[in-house]
Parts: sequence; C-alpha cells; structure tokens
Amino acid sequence: MTSAAGNVKVLFSSLKSTYVATPMKLKIVNLYVFCTLCTAVIQVVFVALVGSFPFNGFLSGFLSGMGTIVQAVCLWMQVIPKNKEFKELSLERAFADFVLTNLVLHLIIMNFL
Amino acid sequence: MAMAGRAIQVSSIIVILLGIASGSLSLPPDRSLHPRILVLVDDLTVKSSHSLFFASLADRGYRLEFKLTSDPSLALTSYGEYLFDGLILFAPAAEHFGGSVDIASILDFVDSGRDLILAADVGMSETLRTIANECGVEFDEDSNAVVIDHLNFAESETDTEHSLIAADTFVASSAILGEKGAEAPVLFQGIAHSVAPANDLVIKVLSASASAYSANPEVQLNGPPSLSGTSISLVSVLQARNNARVLISGSLSLFSNKFFVFPFKKFGSSTSFQRSGNQMFAEEISKWVFHERGHLKAVNVHHHKVGNLEEPSMYRITDHIEYSVEIYEWTGKTWKPYVADDVQVQFYMMSPYILKTLNHNGQGLYTTSFQVPDVYGVFQFKLDYNRLGYTTLAISKQIPVRPFRHNEYERFIPAAYPYYSSSFSMMFGFFLFGVVFLYHK
Repeated sequence: MTSAAGNVKVLFSSLKSTYVATPMKLKIVNLYVFCTLCTAVIQVVFVALVGSFPFNGFLSGFLSGMGTIVQAVCLWMQVIPKNKEFKELSLERAFADFVLTNLVLHLIIMNFL
Repeated sequence: MAMAGRAIQVSSIIVILLGIASGSLSLPPDRSLHPRILVLVDDLTVKSSHSLFFASLADRGYRLEFKLTSDPSLALTSYGEYLFDGLILFAPAAEHFGGSVDIASILDFVDSGRDLILAADVGMSETLRTIANECGVEFDEDSNAVVIDHLNFAESETDTEHSLIAADTFVASSAILGEKGAEAPVLFQGIAHSVAPANDLVIKVLSASASAYSANPEVQLNGPPSLSGTSISLVSVLQARNNARVLISGSLSLFSNKFFVFPFKKFGSSTSFQRSGNQMFAEEISKWVFHERGHLKAVNVHHHKVGNLEEPSMYRITDHIEYSVEIYEWTGKTWKPYVADDVQVQFYMMSPYILKTLNHNGQGLYTTSFQVPDVYGVFQFKLDYNRLGYTTLAISKQIPVRPFRHNEYERFIPAAYPYYSSSFSMMFGFFLFGVVFLYHK
C-alpha cells in the first residue's frame, strides 16, 4: 500500500516537474483548451437542467467548444518540437491553418445558432 | 411556386363545386316555384274523398295532376327530363302501373332527389311492398293484418275491433311537425310497418303505443304477433342521402276528409276532441316532405387571415384565421336565414385538430376564428351538419398549411442566451488566444 501511494506521489511529482519544463506556448494552448472545455461543460449542464428546446442553439454552442478544442489540439501537435511528422511545417503555417479553420467553424456556428 | 399555387386554387374550386353538387345544397335547378306533383290513385273517388288534403297542397302553389294507375300514358320522365317534382301514390292495391312507370322508375325518381308520398292500406300490393322495402321500411307480411290497440283506440260505432287508433306518439322534431306540433291525436286505421333500428336515415314520425299490435281481426292468433308495441311505426319518413324525402304511411284514410273532421273521444280519457289532429299533421308533414321546411343550403364559404380579406392559397402554422359560411333555409318561396347555435366547423387532417362552434349574426352568416395548430400538412375546413328533420350539410374546403420559412422563426430565444453567449465568448477567446500565442515573449 505504501509503495503504491509512494508510486503515485512519485508519478505526480515527475509529471509536475516535466510540465514546468514545457514551453510557455504549449501551456497557453493547454489553458485555452481547459477554458473551452469548461464552457462546453456548463452548456451541457444547462441542457440537462432546462431541456433541449432550442436544440440547434445547444448544438452550435457545444460544437463550437468541441471544434476549437480539436483545432487547438491540432495546433499543439504541429507546434511541438519533438514531433517528427510536422518538422517541415513552420510555426506560422500551423498558426495560419488554425486561424482559417477557426474562421470556417465560427461561420458555421453563427449560421446554426 | 406560382404554378403550384394556381393548381391548388383550381383544385380547391373543384372541391367546392363537388361539395356543392354532392351535398345538394340547393333544390334541383329545374324545380320551379310551382312544383308539379303527380298523384296516382286506384280510382278517382280518392280525389274527392281526400279533397281537403289536395286542396291544401294546391293552396300552397303545387300543381297536382291526378291519374289512374292503369293509365297507359303514365310517364315520369320525357326525353331524360323529369316531368314532375313530386309523386303521391295513393293506390295501395296497385300491382302494375301503366305507361313507363314501374318500381325501377319510381326508385330512380327518388334517386334523382325528388320526393314521394306513399300510402299503404289493408290489402297492399307486392309492388308497393317492394318500393317500401327499398326505402327502408318493412310492412307486415300478412297483408290483411291491421294495427289493433285495445287501449288507445277512438270510440266509434262502426269499429268494433279497435283498429281505429288515436295515436299521439310523435317524433320530437319541430322541423318535421311544425312549430306547434299536433294538438290532437291523429286517427289511424291501417297496417303496421317497422323500421330497422340500425337505419339512421328513416325516422318514425308517428309510432304506435306500447299496447298496439298487428294482427288480422278475423283470424284467431296462434302465437304472439310479429309486430307489436312501439316498434310498430304508423307513419315514417326517409331522408335519403341525396336529400330526397319519402313519406310512408300505413293508412290511406289518415289523409281522408272523413278523418280530418272526425270528432271523437279517446278510450279511457275524458277529453273529447272536436277535430282530430289529422289535418294539421298531414299538412305539416307534407310541407316537410316537399322541402318547404328543413331544407338547408350552405353557401359562400370564406376563410382568410385576420386582417386581410382575400383568400390565400396557403396558410402558415400558428396563423390566426377567420372562417365564415352562410346557411339558408328554404321556405317554399324564398331562402330565409337559418338560425342555430350548434353549427360546428372542423379543421381536419385525418382527425379534427380544431372543432369550433360557429357564431351567427342572426342573418344566416356564421363565423368563427381560431389559430392554425402547430402541425403542417393539407387540412380541410369540414362542416358536417346532421340534424333530425334537416337536410345534411357536408361541405369541405381544402387548404395546405406550411411550416415556418427560414426567416420566420423567433429571432432571439430567451432560453438560448447561454448558447449565444458561449459562442461569442468562444470567438473572443479564439482571438485572445491568437494574440497571446503569437506575441508573447
């Protein structure tokens, strides 16, 4: 038991130390994803309470959250220096992709609201 | 879109015309203000022995033509057109008719919307029995059986078998019997008939009392009689689905002068009547049979959105609409407004979504307004009016109902404000993230 607890403690401290070492950019992305997730969860709770009357409204709000999370994760994947797949892509190119896809997403959301 | 709208308009006009034609809203167009009635009799003494009845008809403007049933020149139609608007058969024993009249032609006469008065009596022929069967009425199989009532007969010296009955069990309808109804019992001496209870087109206008039965007075009864009690009908009327009216009476002498002015005393009661109710009964019921009362037409069906006056070709769900119809009753000479509180209209698609009672303005104009339900499809405005003694009104007008257009929905739904705010916050967050991501050190 104590060894298990001790292992968990070691795990957490190693995670924390690694995390502190990650670049600032990625921490920003993580924060963004976390905030978006919170917003989406609030909407789900609201639907559970009130019912799904303007269902397309709920969908547009929820899916905008999910869409931006997915795009943020993609951006993260493209920006990590260790990722060999996207080595040739520059940071600007990744960010430009991110912006374009976000524009399309928000256009769709506004139409669907 | 315009083509579809035009097609819907044309089809709605066709539906209206079909509705008018099938509902027989008006009398046959070739019926004049002085309708012609053919009276068929066995012998011409009937013309004088029933002269009061015929005089009352002639006074009301009918042109009567008396012919013997054996007359070889009898004809109801000539070159496809009907020569008469009504037929009175006061010939109970007629087996064959002369000329081109037979059972089929008489039934075609009724099928064309024209009216028939048929009087049977003791010794009625098979021909008349068949005609009555086709009209939903079954006479007693024994043609010598009369209606006998030992508790409700009229006291007279000549009648010892108690077959002269004073009947006062009338149908409760002021349309058929007139405003006042019958003030004295109606004298009846004749044969019994019965009406199938499942038949809702035939009405027993005058039924026998519970103590009546149908039997041959000269033959001893071996068992209970086949027809007895209130199931015996003395006078019945049929209003066919094309609104033709047929009166079937089991007694020819009910219409005779003798019974019209017969002072009598009913057995078991102390009141003695100076006059029987026969004359009033015969006149009122002949008015009903010849459509002088209780004949309705519904015209000028209009519907429109509240605020407009033109009739659109299509409605949208949750529209507020007004419906109006005019209903008139024929008085024998003119159409007068029909006044009733129970006319209803249905907004119908497989089942009535809305059922509203129409309000009338006293001049025959019935209106109501309601909101189209939240269902789209092809609806009908259905007016179904079936009242005892009145012609059936069955009018329907078709109208499609469309759902909301893209820009007709509610613009800002209060329940969706969290979603609006989250979407906009997402956009703002994306912008902020972009700035921070690009420009942080």
